[in-house]
Amino acid sequence: MSNPYEVLGVSASASPAEIQSAYRKLAKKLHPDLNPGDKSAEEKFKEVAAAYDLLGDADKRRRFDAGEIDASGAERPPPRQNYYRDYAGADTGHPYANTSGFSDFMDSDDIFADLLRRGQRAQANRRGQDLHYRLAIDFSESIAGASKRITLPDGGTLDVKIPPGLVSGQTLRLKGKGAPGAGTGGPGDALIEVEVLPDPRFEREGDDITIELAVSLSEAVLGGRIRVPTATGAVTMAVPKGSNTGTVLRLKGKGAPKRGGGSGDQFVKLKVVLPSPPDAELEAFVSGWAKGKAFDPRKEG
Amino acid sequence: MRMDKQTFLKTSGLQVKVLELWIEQEWLVPQQTASGVFFEEIDVARVRLIRELQSRIGANDAGIDVILHLMDQLHGMRRAMAELRRDMGGPQA
Repeated sequence: MSNPYEVLGVSASASPAEIQSAYRKLAKKLHPDLNPGDKSAEEKFKEVAAAYDLLGDADKRRRFDAGEIDASGAERPPPRQNYYRDYAGADTGHPYANTSGFSDFMDSDDIFADLLRRGQRAQANRRGQDLHYRLAIDFSESIAGASKRITLPDGGTLDVKIPPGLVSGQTLRLKGKGAPGAGTGGPGDALIEVEVLPDPRFEREGDDITIELAVSLSEAVLGGRIRVPTATGAVTMAVPKGSNTGTVLRLKGKGAPKRGGGSGDQFVKLKVVLPSPPDAELEAFVSGWAKGKAFDPRKEG
Repeated sequence: MRMDKQTFLKTSGLQVKVLELWIEQEWLVPQQTASGVFFEEIDVARVRLIRELQSRIGANDAGIDVILHLMDQLHGMRRAMAELRRDMGGPQA
């Protein structure tokens, strides 16, 4: 590495202020971001920066002058990551792109303006970005459908129609509700990923919904009409005489709406629940019930 | 690579207050989405540039305003030139 005093163009007796001023003058000329088109600027800038890292620090400069460290043994500046110019020159759009510096050229009538305009048109008529949102809805809303309103960070709102039968993770596309486009590009779309919050009562499999429902011993043995919750509200269902734990009853058409019409079914799995606390009369009856004692549910057939 | 605000603060080494100030001054323009603001690598590089303008070049806030404004125009110009060259069938940059 060359002599840092020479690199900065100062004398060995230069004051710290002189060194800083010399460095700043060079940095302005050589900083890669201030010279986006000069590929050699980066190397020169690194050399100048290394020289200043050495001479701009009073302690390091003293040790260099005393011969304790040489210019190449000086701490190297940390490895450079990319400069701003590496991103700003990229072809993809970024928020800092600015064409006001030559818009006047494009207003004129010559070939150059025509070429510029043509080049810009592709960019100018770019479609707006798609914007992504997330929305959580209740299980019942996913089955019955719903109208939801999302509040946007800018204070605006977005009305979202949830189609009946929607599945968790499904993405809804609202055409033209994304970021505005430029020129004739048209706006992007809003993409809403919908999460369905689980309801502990219901389990959905395809278009069918399963629910476990407690029934009393008397309802199981004698049958009866009971109220059953469904995703779209409670309905009345007949429990046949002699039902049991594990008996599955079907409520036709009470499942999730199917794509292309119709609906799945709701299956109601019964669970017989004995009275709590235990009932003395029931106990007395069962202890005197010979046939009940003779029945072994674990025996095959 | 997309970064949320926390990751961006960590990556760029900026203080929250400084970040808010720079956004207000439009030195940084993060992407707005429903789940908050997001930053890209270009923003990290821009932070580095602004820092170097402050420390190495000694530019004050007003100077940085002007530098960024002109620099954005310069890059817009460079891009237009690159596209022009492509349209005319010239060598790729």
